[in-house]
Amino acid sequence: MIAVDPVGAVIALALVLAVVSTLWWMLHPPISKVQEIARDAETELERMVGSIIVVFSENIASQHMMALAAKLAKGERSELLAIYVVSVPYSLPPDAEMTDEERRALDALGAAQAIAAKADINLRTETVKARSTKQAVLDIAKRERANLIVLGSFREGKYTGAPLSRTIEEIAAEAKCDVIIGVEGKHGNLLVDQLGFEQGEQGEKAP
Amino acid sequence: MPDKHQPELKRSVTPWGSFSWGYSDVGADIFVGLGLVLGAAAGASNVAFLFAGIVYVCIGLAYTELAATYPVAGGGQYFVMRGLGDFLGFVAGWAVLLDFTIDVTLFAWSCVDYLSEDIPALLNPIHPWIHFIAVFGLIAGLCLLNVLGVRESTTFNGVVSALDVMSETSILFFGFLFAFRPELLVHTMTTQWPSTFNLMLGASYAIISFVGLESISQAAQETQRPASVIPRTSIALILTILIYALAYSNLALGMVPWHQIPLDAMGHAQTLWQWLGNNDNNGKAVALLAKEVPYFGALAALYVPILGAILLLISSNSGVFGSSRIAYAMANAKLLPSIFQRVNRRFRTPAISIIAFCAIAVVELVFAAWPSLDPGAAAFYAKFFHGEGGIGFLGDLYAFGAATSYSFVFLALIALRMNDPLSPRKFRMPFNIPMTYKGERVLFPVIGVLGFIGILSILVFTILTHDLGRIAGPAWLILGFIIFVIYRRNKGLPVFGSAPHDWRHEQIGILRDAGELELMDEYVASLKAREPARAAEAR
Repeated sequence: MIAVDPVGAVIALALVLAVVSTLWWMLHPPISKVQEIARDAETELERMVGSIIVVFSENIASQHMMALAAKLAKGERSELLAIYVVSVPYSLPPDAEMTDEERRALDALGAAQAIAAKADINLRTETVKARSTKQAVLDIAKRERANLIVLGSFREGKYTGAPLSRTIEEIAAEAKCDVIIGVEGKHGNLLVDQLGFEQGEQGEKAP
Repeated sequence: MPDKHQPELKRSVTPWGSFSWGYSDVGADIFVGLGLVLGAAAGASNVAFLFAGIVYVCIGLAYTELAATYPVAGGGQYFVMRGLGDFLGFVAGWAVLLDFTIDVTLFAWSCVDYLSEDIPALLNPIHPWIHFIAVFGLIAGLCLLNVLGVRESTTFNGVVSALDVMSETSILFFGFLFAFRPELLVHTMTTQWPSTFNLMLGASYAIISFVGLESISQAAQETQRPASVIPRTSIALILTILIYALAYSNLALGMVPWHQIPLDAMGHAQTLWQWLGNNDNNGKAVALLAKEVPYFGALAALYVPILGAILLLISSNSGVFGSSRIAYAMANAKLLPSIFQRVNRRFRTPAISIIAFCAIAVVELVFAAWPSLDPGAAAFYAKFFHGEGGIGFLGDLYAFGAATSYSFVFLALIALRMNDPLSPRKFRMPFNIPMTYKGERVLFPVIGVLGFIGILSILVFTILTHDLGRIAGPAWLILGFIIFVIYRRNKGLPVFGSAPHDWRHEQIGILRDAGELELMDEYVASLKAREPARAAEAR
C-alpha cells in the first residue's frame, strides 16, 4: 500500500502547475501592431459579410464576382442573395414585358445558382423590375439588411465621367453598407469563360 | 545580411517550434547527466545541479537578451563578432560548430544505445557494425529531413518535445506524489555528503545537462517575430529544464523505490541513488528511476526507453540544424567561404551547409566507432589516448566547445552593452549598474560578469581534467584558424581585424526583416535623437 506524503503531493502539484503555467505564458506573447491590424480586419470581414447581395443588371456585370462572393459566403457562413434588376424605361408601363432582358436575367441567375451549388452554399435569387436600378438595389439592401453589396464592372477603355458606369458609382456613393466593386481587366475575362458566358452575350462589354 | 538575389530563410518557426528546438537539444541532456551527477556528487547531487543551474541561468539570460536584440541566424557567433570583432566571432562560431557536429554524432549514438534496450541486435559491444550502420543511417536521415525544409524538422521536433514534456512531468508528478519522502532526502543529504572534489566533479557533469540553449538563437532568423517570441521561449526553456533537473535530483535522493533495489557487485545493499549512479546504470538513469515510480512505473518501463531514444534523436537533429545555420551565418559574415551561404532554391534551406556538417559528423562517428570496429585501433587508442574511448573523446570536445563559446558570449554581451546601447532590448538581464561610457548612458551587466567567471572556471576545469579535450579542442581551433587565414587572405580581408560593418544600417534591416517594426521605429528614433547625421545615413 502506497502512502502519499503531503509534502510530496504539494511538490507534485506545484511542479505541474509551474510547467503548465510557464508553457502557457510562453505560448501567449504580446501581439504587435501589425497583428492587431490583421485581427481587426478579420473581425471586420466577419461583420461585413453577414449578408451579401450580388447584383446583376444591364449595366452591372457581376458574373466574375459571383464566385468570389460564394467563397466569402461559404467561409463566413453568410446569407447570399443574387438579384437581377431589369430596368424598365419610362416610355413603357412598369409591368411591361422585357423579353430579352428577362432572358438574360435567367441566364445570369442560373449561372449564379450553379456557382453556389458548386460551392455548396444556399443562394436565393430574385428578378426585379424597376425604373431605377440604383434605387432598386438600395431598397433591396435595406429590406435584406445587407452587410455587403457586390457589383461587377469592366474597364470601358475611355473616360466618360463615370468609368465604372454611373449606376455603380451611385450605388457605391449612396449605399448604407459596404460595397465591393470588381473591375474586370482590359484583356482579362476573369471567370466569365468558366461560367459559360460568351463575350457576345454581354452587350455592354468592352472590345 | 543576405544577398538580395539569394532566397532568404523562411520565417516558419512558431513559439512552440522555437521552444522545441531548444528543448530537443537541452532536454535530452538530463537522460545522460542524471546518473553521472548522482555517481559523482552523491547526497549533494541536487546542490550540484543547483550550482550548474545558476551558471546555466546566467548563460540563458545572456542568450535571451542577445537573441532578442539581434534576431539573426548565427547566435553566439554573431553576437561575438558584433561585440568583439570578426576574428573572435570566428573562434566562437568555430567552437560552436564543433559542439553541434559532435551533438549530431553523440546523440545519434546514444539513441541507438537506448534502442538496443529493446532491440538486442543493436548492442554495440556485441554487434558493433550493425550499431555503426544504424547510427550512420540516423545521421543520413536527419540530414535529408533538414535539407527538405525547416518546417518539416520543426514539426518533428515540436511533436516529440510535447510528448517528452508530458512524459517527464508525469514521471515527476507521480514520483513525488507516491514515493517522495522529505525525511529520506534530508537523511541522504546529511549522511552522504561528498568531498569537495566530488562536488566539483558533479557540478561539472551537471553543466553538461544544460548545454544546448544556443539552438533557440540559431533559429532566430527563421522565428516569427523573434524579438517578442525568443525571450519567452528562452525563459520558458530555462525554467522548464531547471525545474526538471532539480526535481529529478531531489526525487532520486528522496524517493522510496517501488521494487527491491538489486545488490551491488560486491553483494552489498544499495540505495536508489547509488544504483542509478553506478557505472552500469548511469547511462539510463531516467528510465530506471521512472520504472521505480509506484504504479506509473509499470507504464513508464514500456515507453521511457523509446521516448529517451526519440528525444536523443531530436537532440541529434538540433545538431544538424544548428551547424548548418551557424555556417550559413558565418558565410554571410565573410568568416567562411560563400558556399555555405547558398540557399537551395527549391527547398529554401542551406542544403550545402547541412550536407557538409553532417559529413563532418560522420567523420567523428568513424573516429568514435573505430576502436569497437577494429581491435588494432582499440590498441592504438589505448596507447595514444590514455585508454579513453571514442565517445569519451566526443564528450571532452563537447564540454570544451560549449565552455569556449559561452565564455566569448559573456564578453560580447558586456561589450555590446557598452558599445551599442541604442539597439532596443526587449529583454534585458536584471541587476545592472548604470554608468556613462563614451558619453552614453549604459547599463553594466553584473550577471554577465558573474556568468563569465562561472563559465570560465568550467572551461579551465575542462582543460585541466580532460586529457583528450585539452589536446583535441585547441587542435580544432587551430584547424579553423588555418582555414580562416587562407579564406580571408584570398578575399583581401583582415585576419585579426574586422571588415567594415555598418551595424546601424544592418540593425534597422534586422528589425525590419524580423517584423519588429515598433522596435525599428524606436531604434531609428534613438539614432535621430542622439546622432542625427548617422541616422540620416542609415536611412
